[in-house]
Amino acid sequence: MTNTDVYVRGWGAVTSLGWNSPEAARNLIAGNVTPAAVGVSSHLTSREFKAFEVSYLGNPLDKSMTMLEHSLQEAFLKAQLSEDEIAESSVLVGTTGGLFIRNEYEFTRAVRENPDKESPAISCRNRGPGEVADLIVQKYGIRGMALTFSMACVSSSHALVVAADLLQRGKIRRAIVVGFEPLLNMTLHGFASLLLFDYDQCRPFCLNRAGMQIGEASAVVILDNDKASSFGYKFTGGYQYNDIKSMTSAGIDGVTVSEVVGQTLKSAQVNTGDVVAVKAHGTGTRDNDLSEGRGLVKLFGNKLPPVVSLKGAVGHTLGAAGAVETALWLSCCEEGFIPRSFGFSEIDPEIGFAPSQINLPARDGAYLFTYFGFGGTCTSYLMIKE
Amino acid sequence: MNKKKNKSQITMPVIAASYIGPSLMPNRDALWEEHELPLNADALVNEVMGQPMRRAGRFIKMVACGGLSCLQSVSLNYLKGKKTGIFLATGLGNVDEIMPFITEVFKHGGGFPSPNQFANSVSNAAAFVLARICEVTGTVLTISQEELSFEVALWMAQSYLESDQIELALVGGCDIFTPTVEEYRERMNLSCANSRRMPMGEGSSWLLLGKDEEKNIGDILTVDFGDKTDTLEEKLNIKNILSDFIPLNSVTSGKGRIVLPGFRMNKNVLELWQQKGWEIEDYLPCCGIHSTAAAFGIARTFREKSNTLFVHYNCQVSGRQSLVLGSTK
Repeated sequence: MTNTDVYVRGWGAVTSLGWNSPEAARNLIAGNVTPAAVGVSSHLTSREFKAFEVSYLGNPLDKSMTMLEHSLQEAFLKAQLSEDEIAESSVLVGTTGGLFIRNEYEFTRAVRENPDKESPAISCRNRGPGEVADLIVQKYGIRGMALTFSMACVSSSHALVVAADLLQRGKIRRAIVVGFEPLLNMTLHGFASLLLFDYDQCRPFCLNRAGMQIGEASAVVILDNDKASSFGYKFTGGYQYNDIKSMTSAGIDGVTVSEVVGQTLKSAQVNTGDVVAVKAHGTGTRDNDLSEGRGLVKLFGNKLPPVVSLKGAVGHTLGAAGAVETALWLSCCEEGFIPRSFGFSEIDPEIGFAPSQINLPARDGAYLFTYFGFGGTCTSYLMIKE
Repeated sequence: MNKKKNKSQITMPVIAASYIGPSLMPNRDALWEEHELPLNADALVNEVMGQPMRRAGRFIKMVACGGLSCLQSVSLNYLKGKKTGIFLATGLGNVDEIMPFITEVFKHGGGFPSPNQFANSVSNAAAFVLARICEVTGTVLTISQEELSFEVALWMAQSYLESDQIELALVGGCDIFTPTVEEYRERMNLSCANSRRMPMGEGSSWLLLGKDEEKNIGDILTVDFGDKTDTLEEKLNIKNILSDFIPLNSVTSGKGRIVLPGFRMNKNVLELWQQKGWEIEDYLPCCGIHSTAAAFGIARTFREKSNTLFVHYNCQVSGRQSLVLGSTK
């Protein structure tokens, strides 16, 4: 068994902040963040939901495929991967909706084109979430493993942890980790039905928070063991935990969160005092922010480092969140700053801290990433900026 | 096949196996008819769980019953104090919950999407339910790929076992029948040219893996993946397969040899295996085509075939191949 360090070799992201990650990072740092707005894509059936939508002149299916391709190309270019290097890599995709956008787009188009007819029931002709990985494998001739994790909000963060684990033990040559989540009616209505949707604004950790807002995105993070060709970010401490106490909450007492993060620090041999900043999950739902906020306070005490949620700026990108938020964070670090947290106005006394409200210098050290998803899934890991 | 990359390195002892096919009879080859599917799973739930699962959809019920059936031969207590991972493979996931939910979302004039249906439609809800029943808090992964997902889950489990991150791995494949047959075939991208002509089916079949000399019913010897550039001759070079993957020793010598053909395997390939002296054991008539049918075939072999060396062989439409080698006691 080998045990080798894992580094980030490249990344790319398409979000509502821009069609590449440096553009998004610069917008974040400059505060050029547009709040979620009512969706305009032609496939959206309701105009009551605000979302962080990627702007595009064209149909939503083309947009989704273009987002995927852009994020892959950006990451490949940044990593300077040759065709052979891409082909010998493994692909790990995290997604909940996969290419379900095709069903929604084709159905709504058919309805629009037949205005005089009563619309039939939508057919579900898409294949599984694995279609995205298949598409990438075929397009780039990938010969490594192809894995798809469809595990709600931790899909791509789990994929990152699994990828690092496989790399450490020499099971794969290189990992192309993809988070892909087009905007779907299915998820907008789904979270609304669960009363987890904020119809006004996404406000992570804020007293006035009322729920999440969904963002669409595609992002890619490339991991391998080659430090020399990396950007100097070491991936370490990856930890996945399954909380069987509740399907929908990581426990508002914060114990689970504290233990998950503690395990990450322990396995990476990093002290709490060495954590430069926390990229929190911070969805803006009551339970998530309470469990996460309390968990962080429980672990770090009065030495809590700056906490940032990116969801006030790009929304909750669901299964893509792991790859998306990692890519954006790294691009911000490359610009020299840790971005501030958007959507906050008032401290929740039950949480007891405010997320970071100013851009901070991105100094070397450990950055903690946390994700807590539906189904009791928890992921955390560290990026060490060397 | 690819001899260097993507090949698992260690033998995985199999402690328990169970299979459930479309007839919903655990570990029995019972008759079923494609046009009568899907059958109501409540009797199965009562038999395996001992109580109803009122708020769960069929997919969740099948996953829970399949996983628990596998654990029945060792009991749930067997997991206590052991680091256990759950690896659920599925091609299409809980489409039985997604379809009614999305139908309501797109209903003409506006529908009423059910929050319970949405919660159950989340891909890893089934793994959560099984993990809660088994009290597993460590590695719980839902691997959702339309093809070869069970083989990938086995490969993942082997990797985790190899690293000692877990002591036991409960690895299963579950896919359920959703009408109509035509839409089901379309979702699985099946055509006469790319798959065998068989009835569609469903199943939830599981293996419990880990070191236990007393309970060992056989071994998974290797899980290997090759790409479409491997030639037919390469992938059927049985001599090489044997020498590369199955050292002739007390575990493998003198055993019967069978091939379990997956649903993409064509007749010509089957004949080549036969020419090499391998008998064909066609399990698909017992479970029908579904994305994770390999789990059914492999679990059934561990239960039904003693003193046998087996190969499960399948490929994807794209040409990617997978080979699982196992040995029963």
